[in-house]
Amino acid sequence: MEDFLYFFSFQDASIAFVVLGITLLGIGSAFVGTFSFLDNKALLGDAISHAILPGICLGFMLAGEKNPFFIVGGAIASGGLATYLTSWLKDNTKLSEDSIIAVVLSVFFGIGIVFLTIIQKSGNPEMAGLNQFIFGNAIGIVERDLWIYGGLSIGIIGVLVFMLKEFQILVFNPDFGKALGLPMHHIRLVFNILIILAVVIGIQAIGVVLMAALLITPGAAARFWTDRLKTLLILAAVFAIISGIFGTYISYTLPQMPTGPWVVVILSFIALLSFLFAPKKGILFRFYHRKKYIDKTQRDHVLKSIYKAEELGKPALSLEELTHIYPHQKQAIKNSIKELEKEGQLFINQNLIKLTKPGKMEAKRIVRLHRLWELYLNEYMNIAPDHVHESAEKLEHLLTPELEALLETRLNFPRLDPHQETIPRDHDDI
Amino acid sequence: MMTFDQNAFLIIFTASLIAISCGLLGVFMMLRKMAMTGDAISHAVLPGIVIGFLVSGTQRGLEVIVGAGILGILATLMIDWLRKKARVQLDASIGITFTLLFAIGIILISAFAYRVDLDQECVLYGEIAYLPIDLWITDAGKSLGPRIMWLAILNLILVLSFITLFYKELKLTSFDEKFGVVIGIPASAINLGLMSMVSYTTVSSFEAVGAILVVALLVVPPATAFLWTRQLRQLIQLTLIIGIAVSLLGYYLAYLLDSSIAGMMVTVAGIIFFVSVGLTRYRSKIKFGTQNEAKAFSS
Amino acid sequence: MIKQVTQPILEIHDLTVSYDQSPVLWNVDFSLPAGKLIGILGPNGAGKSTLIKAIMGLIEPNSGYVKIFDQDLDKVRNKISYVPQRESVDWNFPASVLDVVLMGTYGKLGLFKRPGKKERELALSCLEKVGMTAYVHRQISELSGGQQQRVFIARALAQEADLYLMDEPFAGVDMNTETAIFNLLQEMSQSGKTVIVVHHDIYSAVNYFDWFIMLNLHLVASGPKNEVVTEELLRKTYGGKLNLLSKVSELIRQKEFNPLKD
Repeated sequence: MEDFLYFFSFQDASIAFVVLGITLLGIGSAFVGTFSFLDNKALLGDAISHAILPGICLGFMLAGEKNPFFIVGGAIASGGLATYLTSWLKDNTKLSEDSIIAVVLSVFFGIGIVFLTIIQKSGNPEMAGLNQFIFGNAIGIVERDLWIYGGLSIGIIGVLVFMLKEFQILVFNPDFGKALGLPMHHIRLVFNILIILAVVIGIQAIGVVLMAALLITPGAAARFWTDRLKTLLILAAVFAIISGIFGTYISYTLPQMPTGPWVVVILSFIALLSFLFAPKKGILFRFYHRKKYIDKTQRDHVLKSIYKAEELGKPALSLEELTHIYPHQKQAIKNSIKELEKEGQLFINQNLIKLTKPGKMEAKRIVRLHRLWELYLNEYMNIAPDHVHESAEKLEHLLTPELEALLETRLNFPRLDPHQETIPRDHDDI
Repeated sequence: MMTFDQNAFLIIFTASLIAISCGLLGVFMMLRKMAMTGDAISHAVLPGIVIGFLVSGTQRGLEVIVGAGILGILATLMIDWLRKKARVQLDASIGITFTLLFAIGIILISAFAYRVDLDQECVLYGEIAYLPIDLWITDAGKSLGPRIMWLAILNLILVLSFITLFYKELKLTSFDEKFGVVIGIPASAINLGLMSMVSYTTVSSFEAVGAILVVALLVVPPATAFLWTRQLRQLIQLTLIIGIAVSLLGYYLAYLLDSSIAGMMVTVAGIIFFVSVGLTRYRSKIKFGTQNEAKAFSS
Repeated sequence: MIKQVTQPILEIHDLTVSYDQSPVLWNVDFSLPAGKLIGILGPNGAGKSTLIKAIMGLIEPNSGYVKIFDQDLDKVRNKISYVPQRESVDWNFPASVLDVVLMGTYGKLGLFKRPGKKERELALSCLEKVGMTAYVHRQISELSGGQQQRVFIARALAQEADLYLMDEPFAGVDMNTETAIFNLLQEMSQSGKTVIVVHHDIYSAVNYFDWFIMLNLHLVASGPKNEVVTEELLRKTYGGKLNLLSKVSELIRQKEFNPLKD
């Protein structure tokens, strides 16, 4: 707890620096990552982040120390080379894109490992600082790093906001952009540079191996909450910041823990929550809606059954008679009756279930939709009268008033369905 | 000098075995456009390895292999679940899955560092250089040679039998999976089998070359061979030759530069790949001229 | 106009199929006689390929069923042959023409067994039928579109089936190939095989097929040529989709789940 307060009150200037740095780089990576996620290029970021390792090592070898300028320079060079090779190989060989990405990723990483072991064996005492690029160590961010990484982040965010429209076209409809006369080729180039820069700063916190998560997961999680690009970007950034700060906090309290894996675990957790609980697209929400829908279909069936009995001259049904019609759904039918009684659509008198006035209206509507659809299937889709029932059983719960009106006009307000049963209207009696 | 040579032979021999196993599986992974799924699996088995390690108390336990196998399959299932149930696109599903599982693995290693004799470096590039001193010693005290070499031999035997037994099915489902389903071939079982073999191979090779570099052996030799040939048999043969060449050259270059053997193997694989790209392009440029003429002639 | 037949080789009962939760086939119900050359006609997006895939069990229908030879698909797989769309595979795959045609024999071979001399001879004779004898050892990446199509048909022939389902075998092939394929299909139907072909070109179709299935999200017609190739039915097939049906499809697509699924 003490740790927690100390950390989050930012009394310690170095912690404040780290948090500021994490926030900036989180926003930068999440913005860029969201675009590459929408562009279906999620794994290119993975390739680039692995490919940066040899550049970092070379920068270190040249500078002889952990100099951010050399390291960023090397990283940009090798990241750029990897990006260029990826698209060059795609245009000039018959290899599939996933093979190309896997080749570039693993070869560059292998070369990086070779450099890393060479540096390791050279006995340079600064070596320890280099290892943290692999799994990330946000606590290692010092003031000098902040200036360069923070500056780069602000640069990325600035360019993205400034060129939002162009990138939007790049992601959703590049051919349209070309038709408009936009230099799509250059826009893609700028975008690729942004990915590389985002990776270069991101690996500070998360390391090269897991950097892909910082690019992919925030966007994928945010996609569940919204369809609007701006909201999407903001949410993705928020997710990245939250996980970045908590990851940092954990590696602050448990010094043997690298930051990266914790950032990824927290991010994935946020993503899991989004997949499950997000409104509209979340799995539970979809499940709940399905359940609600099935309940409604069961209520519809009860109303319909009583109405049909009425048509045959039997004004009420007993519970036994009703459950007899749906022998496999006894409990569900009982629940539906309870529900409908509460809504005032039917009433129970001496174990006989009868429709109220609004109940009858609703029942008529359902039967009407059922029979209209049957007639439509028969007349417009040439389906034999003995084949139309099952489809109508489903569509009677779905058709909207607009579609009902359309059906009525198409079929010219018919009186009978294909089975010669009356199509009930609101004002006629049985 | 004599003993050194023997060590070198053991390392190269084992590395070749691993490269061959990976290459054989990698050919089919590439043809199924699942190279990145292979990458994901090789990352994702890490927590399985660590948990198996914690359960058995040793990295030699069967639990390690079982743990990794379970995680490998879990990874493919998770990718599938994300794609179908959560409706996330395939590449993002792969990215989310492998980063999460790998992260958990690293956290477990860090948390149980005092109990698990695994470090982050071993995960990255293995310890094939120590292979000759890590011997398999029977209860009677007799040394049977390097333990990892025996693991690699067993792995290769299993991979070879899997591919020989299901060669026909692997070929068909890699080319046209739907046709396979239509004629009644258990395509999803074949696919799951292949994924299990990849997971198992990753674990079995992990101590030698590291979890991440396994993927290079899985991907780069087949991709290189694919530049040269359009015949499956030749593709497999060439992949195996490249795998052996990579082991041989990688070892000696690492020795010369005093660096990681596994890393150097991948570097050599990369060099062979890019040289092949250059050469095959040069070759097709010459061929292209004659082909154009033939086309003009026939039409 | 839907003509049902007795003792059908293929019976489709009330089939409703969705693709990405959008219904693309509504209540399709027909039966087909054996030994005919049958064309499936319809505009783009009418659900022609979906119908074939549903018959072959590649897409799970929302409702309805398919019976082939009065049996479930799994019992008669050996008697049906399938030609997918040419673009559905990557032709850069490292295989020779012969390799691909041999794949047609895998179903009957079963697990573990390799194709032997008998299968090879069968494959060669199938290649001869499609006029590809000269290309037996050619790599498939080097074939033209028409040649690729012929290879796919040879592979289907090697299945030695009684019922053939072909998805757009005439798409993007040259005139020579089209005539050659058509002659072959005619020969097959004369020798008692049933061939069902998805076709997009109404003008050539009239000359090719003797039974027609006309689709436009729903079944417009199914019957012999002289009864169904009428101006009215063609207009129903090609004259735009039913407005109401498209609206209902859209309504279902926007739901959080597919309400047509049981």
